[in-house]
Formats: sequence, structure tokens, C-alpha cells
Amino acid sequence: MNPPTHLRARFMSIALDQVTKRYQSIPVVNDVSLKVEQGEFLVLLGPSGSGKSTLLRAIAGLTEIDHGRVSLHGRDVTGVSARDREVGFVFQHYALFRHMTVANNIEFALRVRGVRAAERRARRTELLRLVALEGMDDRLPTELSGGQQQRVAVARALAHRPQVLLMDEPFGALDAKIREELRRTIRQIQRELGIATILVTHDQEEAFALADRIGVMHQGRLLECGPPDDLYTRPATRFVATFLGAANLMLGYRTGEGIRFAAPSASGLPPREVVAVLRPEEVELAADADDVRSNFVGYGQVQEILFAGAVERLRVQMPEDGPVPVAPGRDDALGAVLEVSRTLPEQREFPVGVGRRVAVGARRTHVLPTPISSFTVVADDPARARVLRESPLLSTLTARMQTRLNVRLERGSAAPPGMPVLATGPGSAQAVQWHLEHGAEHLLCLPTAAGVPDRVVIFAPDTEARRSTFAVAASLLRHIPAEAIYLSIRPSGTPETDRTDSMRQLLDARSGALAEHGLDMRTEVRFGDVSTELLREMLAHEPSMLVIGVGSAAAVPAWFAQLLEGAVQRPILIVQAPGAEPSAES
Amino acid sequence: MAGGFRKPSVLPGFGLTLGFTTFFLSALVLLPLAALVLKATALTWSEFVAVLLDERAVASYRLTFGAAFLAAFVNAVFGFVVAWSLVRYDFPGRRLVDAFIDLPFALPTAVSGIALATVFSPSGWLGQKLALAGVQVAYTWVGVVVALILIGLPFVVRSVQPALVEVQRELEDAAETLGARPWQVFQRIILPAVLPALLTGFTLAFARGIGEYGSVVFISGNLPMKTEITPLLIVIKLEQYDYNGAAALGFIMLVMSFVMLFAINLVQTWGRRRQVASGR
Repeated sequence: MNPPTHLRARFMSIALDQVTKRYQSIPVVNDVSLKVEQGEFLVLLGPSGSGKSTLLRAIAGLTEIDHGRVSLHGRDVTGVSARDREVGFVFQHYALFRHMTVANNIEFALRVRGVRAAERRARRTELLRLVALEGMDDRLPTELSGGQQQRVAVARALAHRPQVLLMDEPFGALDAKIREELRRTIRQIQRELGIATILVTHDQEEAFALADRIGVMHQGRLLECGPPDDLYTRPATRFVATFLGAANLMLGYRTGEGIRFAAPSASGLPPREVVAVLRPEEVELAADADDVRSNFVGYGQVQEILFAGAVERLRVQMPEDGPVPVAPGRDDALGAVLEVSRTLPEQREFPVGVGRRVAVGARRTHVLPTPISSFTVVADDPARARVLRESPLLSTLTARMQTRLNVRLERGSAAPPGMPVLATGPGSAQAVQWHLEHGAEHLLCLPTAAGVPDRVVIFAPDTEARRSTFAVAASLLRHIPAEAIYLSIRPSGTPETDRTDSMRQLLDARSGALAEHGLDMRTEVRFGDVSTELLREMLAHEPSMLVIGVGSAAAVPAWFAQLLEGAVQRPILIVQAPGAEPSAES
Repeated sequence: MAGGFRKPSVLPGFGLTLGFTTFFLSALVLLPLAALVLKATALTWSEFVAVLLDERAVASYRLTFGAAFLAAFVNAVFGFVVAWSLVRYDFPGRRLVDAFIDLPFALPTAVSGIALATVFSPSGWLGQKLALAGVQVAYTWVGVVVALILIGLPFVVRSVQPALVEVQRELEDAAETLGARPWQVFQRIILPAVLPALLTGFTLAFARGIGEYGSVVFISGNLPMKTEITPLLIVIKLEQYDYNGAAALGFIMLVMSFVMLFAINLVQTWGRRRQVASGR
């Protein structure tokens, strides 16, 4: 079918800048910035309640936003009502006007614009051909099947030649076969018209089938956005790794020979702990470690086998302290379970049965850039360790990150791998100092029963530490639905010229954090004494949390103790600049 | 319906239910009406025509049907507004207002009539103010309309309410993204969807208005030729032991009401056919 040229008359792209929408002060869409190019097909993918539909409605103007800007084709439409935004919107349940015929439904947008009848008729015929419903003009919507109704809805949404097409789970109410057929039609129409399109779905198969780019949303944030194969093979976040297809999250160690999964030797400083993604199809099973041709992971026991046609799905029980983190929320008795899928040739080569002990290898792993791998609570006695472990903030983080939470009751010779967790209070400043000097890149200080914050203040006075601070903050904010504020504090006597300068630096830092870590923050400048301003900022809001970047352990400033041991205590995440070499063996 | 019209249902047997319906209709509706017609036929044709075309009677028809029609129309407009605000907005005291709507159903009509007369009489609260503006409500045809509006409101509100609930917000959203202005959304989307219900409410209010007696007689003043409604005329005839005359008037009311209700029903069916054709 040849597209009529005037159908492609106008193009438009979509640009969102820090769009935030709150319901009862809880952000359901949180600082989303996004650009869709002309003719691009973007699929917003996410579990229900991730804010994707709200974002779509915000683009259409059906929902007002609390913060940020929406531009369509270079025109700022933030304050423009839906009827003047020139978008086409397709609803999940079609939303056809039941008292009107198909013809009248399609012509609706033209009719309200006062377009003449002859022109309307011509456009209608053209659209009906486009959606392959020729001759259905006089039917009533209820005389059509679900798939046909949705086709009419698509035609109706395109009648006024919108510059943007928005679709909210358009196949949600259809059965599998029709869904696939309609999917093809929509992709074809979209290509023909070259119209910028955003489709919202929770179905990843659909996303893969349609998208030029996929944007994954979770808890109101747009976590990652990229071409489907990139997101699948090189996800940047735990959520995207596990949401797009199945994935085992592993704790590994970065060594000279690459990623190793064996626990590091006790002596010396710990190698850097990382989070690796191991897809079930990349797992190799063998009789013994020597037979493993790929990267040896450890020994496990086959717990369950499910035959699913061409592939065999297995669950392999790994030791609890092994490389696969115990996924909290699962039954504790299950321990660490590795998901494996094997093709028929693999099954023939090494048949296994339930209960068999197997050696596990990883053919290909992808290391997530996330700086937070696991947590280790460091406390003097089990009771205090328990209090920290069970604090809502820490248990939420470990559960959402699907990572391990270790407990260490004595300091040892070096900081534990991953992120140490300490209690705030008397003596904590000294403990923080010690850990920073003994190999910890970052650490978390918790007051008793620290709640989950909905506001995170980021403060990185040290330029060296800024980058890693943003990385850690971005990782943290992906797992708690909080707003991020990047704070800059200048001495109160700062002259006016320097003020604009610092403002610019701040905005540069902000756009850098967004580009590099996908971390979107609001910025604020305060003038005054650092500790006073920080305390005031923390006090202004409950529950809040502080992420702070420091140069080196030696440079941990004196006012720091006040924050850690003072009367007002908030969770504090301390990030050390990477250049700061830990002092060698003590 | 190839298998006949006996379809299994929760109520026992088609025969029994139809029999019951027939009996009920006959005993309570048709039989008394037949008696009425029979009574009216006791008059000779010329007597009958004389009663019907009596100047006073004709004036009363005009008032009865005119006021009922006007009141039903006003109710259709305001009843819709009331239903809209009850369905679409959540305001403090919404449930209370909702309960208030039904009050005219429950109140003895004479009570509402007396209450209205008290308020609107030239010395009443509202009557005083309106008198200053040169408007007299009590003891004029306006009073009759006011009484019928009060009586008819719940019919419209209760008919329209469920229909409005059914109008999905999504339809309005769809219309908005297609570029419809608010009044276009109302005119093209909301109104067509609730029109059948609105017409039902109108019909019910109208029917009720024609037969209303209690609330009207107190506020109308009952001036012959001016504010006398047909039901009152019937009562007057009864008080004068002119049973045949009363029956004749009753008969003509019956015919006129039936014709008008039937006409509205036809309009309704015609309007609904498109939606009914699609079922669901």
C-alpha cells in the first residue's frame, strides 16, 4: 500500500524534561526526561504501577504534571490542554463512541474542527483502507470484534493528522492471535506515516516486537532507555536485567584475569565486588569443576527440572554463601537458587536428574555498572547487628536489589567487600574513618530503625568524589521512590559574580549526572556554614537521607562527627573519591 | 427463538408468571379503567361532548398538561445538573443531598403543597421578596408549575444518575484528545449517552405531573378558568354527585395521557434503536 503523501505532511518529536507527577505527595512519575525522534517507535515497558500510563497521559495533556516540561515538535505544550496538543491517543478499552457509526467515530476529530463533509469522507475512506476495514463505515462499534474495534480506534486517533501517536496498552484486551496481527498492522502504519509513537505495555514480547527503543519504567522512574538488544545484553540496572527476560544476579570479584566467582582469599584488601548478570541460557552444567569449559562458578544441586519443549528449565541450589545472592522474599529454606535453561544438545551431552550434584560454569556474564553490590552489617554484638539488619531502609534495599546482606561481628583487618553498614551514634565517626581507610569505597550509616526516605539530599563538595557519588546515588535512587536534590553550599560571604558561577557549576553537574548515570536531580544552592545548612536541610523534611561525597579518608571533615553523632540522625551514605588510595596494611 | 418462548429462568414457569401478570393488570388497572369508561358511557353523546368542551374544563386541560409539560422540562434540565453534580463530584454532604432528592417521593403530597403555599404566599418568606419584584407565584399558574417541579425532580435525577455513572471518563478523554471543546464533549458524547434515561425521567415526571392533585390544590388557589387543574375539576364534580361527568373527565384525561405517553415512548424507542441494535 502506498502511503498518500499528505499523510506524512507533518512530523514531530516528543521531548520531556524532568516530568514529575505526584498523587498525594507521592511521585508516580519521578523526574522523567526523554526524547523521541521523528518517526521513532518507543515502547514504555514496566510492571503495573510503574507510572508508565500516567506519563503517557501527561504527554497527551490528560493529566496535569506538577513539575517539568513537555514539548511536542519544539513547542512547549506544558500548559496546553489535550484538545490543542494535536496528539492521537489509543486507549486500552478502545473508548469508541458507541452511539456513533464507525464512519462518525473516525470523522469525529474532523467534525469538531468544522471540516467539510466531502473532505471528511475522503479522509475516512483513506483511514479505513489504512487499517484494513474498508466498507465497515456504517457498522456500529458493538457490531465489530475487539480487534476491529481497536483498528477503528487507531484510525480515529489518526484522523486529524496528529504529530504524535500515543497508545496505552492497545492490545491489552485482545487475545493472542489477534494481538499479533494488530501488532503487525500498527507497526506497518507507524512506518508508513513516519509518526513519532509511544506505546505503553507491560508485555516484554510486545516491546521487543515493536520498539525501535524500549524505555523501562519502575517506580515512576525511567530506568533505562535504549535499543531492545542493547537493553537485553547490556543492561545497566538490576531491575532491567531481571525484568527483560530471566536473569541470575551474581556477586563476583573483579580480578586480573577477569570476573571470578570464588570467594576471595582472606589476606590483604578485598578485590572489588561486582554484580554480574548471568542469563539462564549462558549457564553451563558439568559433572565436575575440571569439565567446566567456561568460567567456573561453584557446585550446586539440581532441585527441579521442568521440560518446556525445546528447552529444559532447571533450578540449581547453590550454597548460601555462594555467588548467587539469596533473593530475599523467597522462602529462606530455598537458599540461593540458580535458574538454568538448556537446549536439547546440551541435555544430551550431560543428562542430569533431580538431586544430582553439578559443577556450574558461566559462559558469558555481563557486569552491571552499579557501584552497590552487597551489604555487610558491621556491629559489635548480634543484637545491634539485628537492629540494623531489620531497619526498614536496609531490608528494603536488599530486597529490591536482590542482593546479599552479610553480618560481621568483628572489624577484621580490612573493610568487608561491598558496602559496609554501620550504626550512627557515639563513636561512629571513628568507625567510618577506619573503614574508609581500610578499603571501603562507600559505606552506609544508619540510625536505629531508619525508615525509607522519600527525599535524598546529595552533597559532594569534593570534585574528585562527585562522579562516584552520583553513581552511588543513582543506584540508590533506582531502588527507593524518592526525590533527589543536589545541594551546593557556599560561604555566606560569596560575592554576586561567584554566585552565578556556582549556579552554573551546579547545573553542569546536574546534566552530567543525568547523561552519565541517568540520575535526574533538582538543584539547590545555600549560602552559609556547611554543617548548619546540612542539618537544616535534613531537619526540614522527614524522612530524608543524605548522600555525601568525601575526598579521602584523611579529609573527612570535623563537622562530620556532628552529623553522625549529633542529636538529629538521618541515614547517611558516604562515598569516597576513587583516587583516594587506602592506606596499605595496618 | 426457534424453541418457542419458554426459556428456562429462575422464576417458576412461563405460564404462571404470565398468568399472574395478566391477572394483576386486569384486576388493578384494566378493570377499574373499564369501569370508568363504562360510567362515562352512561352519558349521551351530546352530554359527553358538553362536559368535555365546557369552557372551564378546556381551561383546566390547558393548565394541567401545560404545567406538567413545563415542569417536566425544567426538571429534565435541572435534574440533569443535580445528577451530574452527584455523580461527578465528591463534596461534603453529598450523601445527604442524595438522600434529600427522594424526599418528595416519601412526603404526603398535601404536606409539600402546604409547605409550598406557606413559603410562596404573598406573606411567606419567598413570596414577600418575589412580590417586591412583581412576581406572584402562589395562586397563579406559576405556583402550579413550582409544585409539579418539586414533585417531579426525583424522577429525573434517579433515571439519569445510573446512566451518567455509565459514561466512561475514557470517552471524554478520547473526545478531548480528538480536539473537542468542552461543550462539544457534552453535546456529542455525554448527552447522547444519557438521552434515553433523560427522556424516561422526563416521561415519568410528566406523567406524575398530570395526575398530581395534593400538592397543587394548596398553592394554585383553584380559581375557575385560571388556576384550576383537571383532577380538581373531577373532585368538584364528585362532590356535586355528578359521577358521570367526573367519569367523562377522567376518561378524557386517560385518553390524552395515554396518547402523549405513547408518543414519548415511540420517540424513545426510535432514538434508542441504534443502541439497542447493538445490544449490550
